[in-house]
Amino acid sequence: MKRPKLLTLLAIALLTGTFLYSAVRLFRARTAALVDPEVEVIRLAHWQLEPGVREAIDAIIADYQQLHPKVRVEQMDIPGRAWKQWLRTQLVGGNPPDLIELAAYENPDDMLARYFTPLTGYLEEKNPYNVGEPDLRDGSWRQSYAAELVPAPDGLGHYYSANLLEYYGAPSTLVTVRVFYNRNLIKAALGEDRPPRTFDEFVDLCEALQHYAQTSGNPIKPLGGSVFNITKITDALFSTVTQRLAIDTDFSRNLELSVHEIHVQYLRQRWSLRSPAIRASLQTVEAFGRYLSPGWVQLGREDGMLQFLQGRAAMLATGTWDAGGILMQADFPIGAFKMPSFRRDDPRFGPSTLGEPSEAATFAAMPFGLTRASRHPERAIDFLRFLTSRKSNTKFVAISKWLPVIKGVPVPPEAVPFQPVVKGYIGGLNVRVLLGASSDAFLQNLHLLSGTAANADAFIDRYESACNEKMPVEMARITRVNLTTLRQRDSVLAGLYHQHAGDALARTKFDRLVASQLDSEAQRLQTLRTLEDHPPR
Amino acid sequence: MPFLTAHILRLPSFRAAVCRRLGMALCLLGGLAPVRAAGPSEAEGWQLLSGYLFRDAYDTFTLAPGDSRTRALGLAASRLNHPPVTASKVAEVEAQLRALIAADGTDDTAMYARLLLARVLHLHHPAPLAGAEAAYREVIKANPAHPVAQIAAGKLALLLLYQRPDLTVPQRLAAAAELEAVAGADLLPEAACAYYRALAGGALFYEVCDDRVLGWLRRADAIGTHDVQLVSNVRIQLAEVARALGRREEAIAYYRHFLATILPTDNRFLTARERMEALETAAR
Repeated sequence: MKRPKLLTLLAIALLTGTFLYSAVRLFRARTAALVDPEVEVIRLAHWQLEPGVREAIDAIIADYQQLHPKVRVEQMDIPGRAWKQWLRTQLVGGNPPDLIELAAYENPDDMLARYFTPLTGYLEEKNPYNVGEPDLRDGSWRQSYAAELVPAPDGLGHYYSANLLEYYGAPSTLVTVRVFYNRNLIKAALGEDRPPRTFDEFVDLCEALQHYAQTSGNPIKPLGGSVFNITKITDALFSTVTQRLAIDTDFSRNLELSVHEIHVQYLRQRWSLRSPAIRASLQTVEAFGRYLSPGWVQLGREDGMLQFLQGRAAMLATGTWDAGGILMQADFPIGAFKMPSFRRDDPRFGPSTLGEPSEAATFAAMPFGLTRASRHPERAIDFLRFLTSRKSNTKFVAISKWLPVIKGVPVPPEAVPFQPVVKGYIGGLNVRVLLGASSDAFLQNLHLLSGTAANADAFIDRYESACNEKMPVEMARITRVNLTTLRQRDSVLAGLYHQHAGDALARTKFDRLVASQLDSEAQRLQTLRTLEDHPPR
Repeated sequence: MPFLTAHILRLPSFRAAVCRRLGMALCLLGGLAPVRAAGPSEAEGWQLLSGYLFRDAYDTFTLAPGDSRTRALGLAASRLNHPPVTASKVAEVEAQLRALIAADGTDDTAMYARLLLARVLHLHHPAPLAGAEAAYREVIKANPAHPVAQIAAGKLALLLLYQRPDLTVPQRLAAAAELEAVAGADLLPEAACAYYRALAGGALFYEVCDDRVLGWLRRADAIGTHDVQLVSNVRIQLAEVARALGRREEAIAYYRHFLATILPTDNRFLTARERMEALETAAR
């Protein structure tokens, strides 16, 4: 009889203890604002949990608070998996943080319009925190960015909404994709620490690492990672081997092959998976697929990272957002290289190649948007200006090891290999992105390109039937999505028209949106025309 | 305790909460009349509508005072995308727009109602398209010098380019180009630029690459646009089309212009430069 009573008491004590702990934490977090109503509290939320980023933001916050003792900036780091639900709850609840990280796929237009303040006007003003920078002080905040925040094509730049024609975010960094490698293992396998300069050298390196694993008894794998990581490599290869095909397929003659053109030209049978350039691009995977870890298709992104950090895989392809974490957590020296491309005279992969693809179209990332519910919008903007000043961006990249985004900020030595390679050619045709929402068909058959029996033709046989069946479905899906946007814009245009009532409309937002709607409508009708003229095979 | 009470009273959130409650109480005491007088305006409705907030806009127009024709148009325009969009709501909107036009076909509201009606027939109704085409032509006929007519002409050009089932490709291009006087007007230069881009884009889609395409692209380039990506696109298209037509010198000049004005985030620099150099080498 005594035992249950004791257990009950224990449970109550535990509950009380937990309550007290939470209460103390909450009290300590809010105390400053409560004791001093003059203190302005700015909350800043993001999902960048990679080591180095929080520390960098903390350091910048400390600088800001020293400058403005009556302001407290709180950093809220929310795990990516909980972000979507957390964000919705905060916004709908009416008490969101002042500044929130934006991503086009997380913040649809209606959310931006309802909950966020456009920053276009602010970005055209000067950034007072660059007043000590002779080359920046006379320009606008937007012009202090390395690429002056050129609006990115829809969905690529998260700081600008192509539908709302407004800037909504001020970014802090750039990200690229690189292959990270364990320098000790490469040196052990090759006898020297030298990253590959050509695709053949990359394959030779894989072979040397495999040989090293067999002879040394150290069970390492040349390449680590999951589908997430390996597709970073295949994307780069596909994009290079098919560059000339891209020019031939680009019916709009603007040297930029869009997914829309890829779809239309596939149905018109202007290219297929059996086109020599496409077959060659798939053979590139066949060439290194045998060096992939067994079961890699089932691995998660975190598993790939763990393999690499534990020294069980010699190379890992990932975005440079992981760089800080890798550099801080690996207990071996790290190197990084851009996936090498092919020479035009390469007998197997050269015929449709132009050369290394350009990374000029790398758009600024990690933008923070200002919520409409912010109690101190001007203070929040002030902090955002401070965060993206040259001085703070210098500090941010020095601590996080990420790439800078503000003009004249030096790239930290560790991040030099991550800098976008601007000198290069257009990208080619990437067969991974053909099916959009049905892209699983690519991943489900990817195993046919790996292992000792890797075979591009076997992959083509399977993937082609999926493409023939699913591509028209995907195209029809896109036209339905576009139809919704077009219908919505009709109402939006009515709103804009009546806001300008009586004024000249030339070059106004109304005029610009009319033009933009005509562009999207033309593309949608091209797709419908193609589906009608070229019914599924 | 008095200290704590005084401190709580100093808190902005406490003061705001007290003020809110006092305000509500005063409103209740004063009856609903003051609330009504300070109610939402049509201007707020248009503002909300322009920000994709269709439900809020509809509620605002519903509560807005008066019985003006613009308010009725606002109700129809916001109802059109009031979530969830249903066939019955669209039918309701169509009837409202027809009523607005029938009541007075001469004013600005009637012009916009005609355009919205054409859009309903085009985007919300299943085929046939004859009704949509006739509705667009009706907008243009009502006042060809009106910016709304310019929009209708651009939409009609697309319908002719891609949707009319009875036209051949040359007929499609000719029919769309015939709308130039209205669709290419300078009332809406961005829209005019998009119209010329649409003509060139239509021809290139049908794999027609001739002098007309070059002419349309030149017009688009001359009018210009705020969208810096599109400016760049038109310039490289001019170079590539001139190249395809065998106009070497012209193509080289367009490549030069493209390269001189290229954005820092454009991947096409080296590719375009090589293509230009190949033409220069061939010219020597």
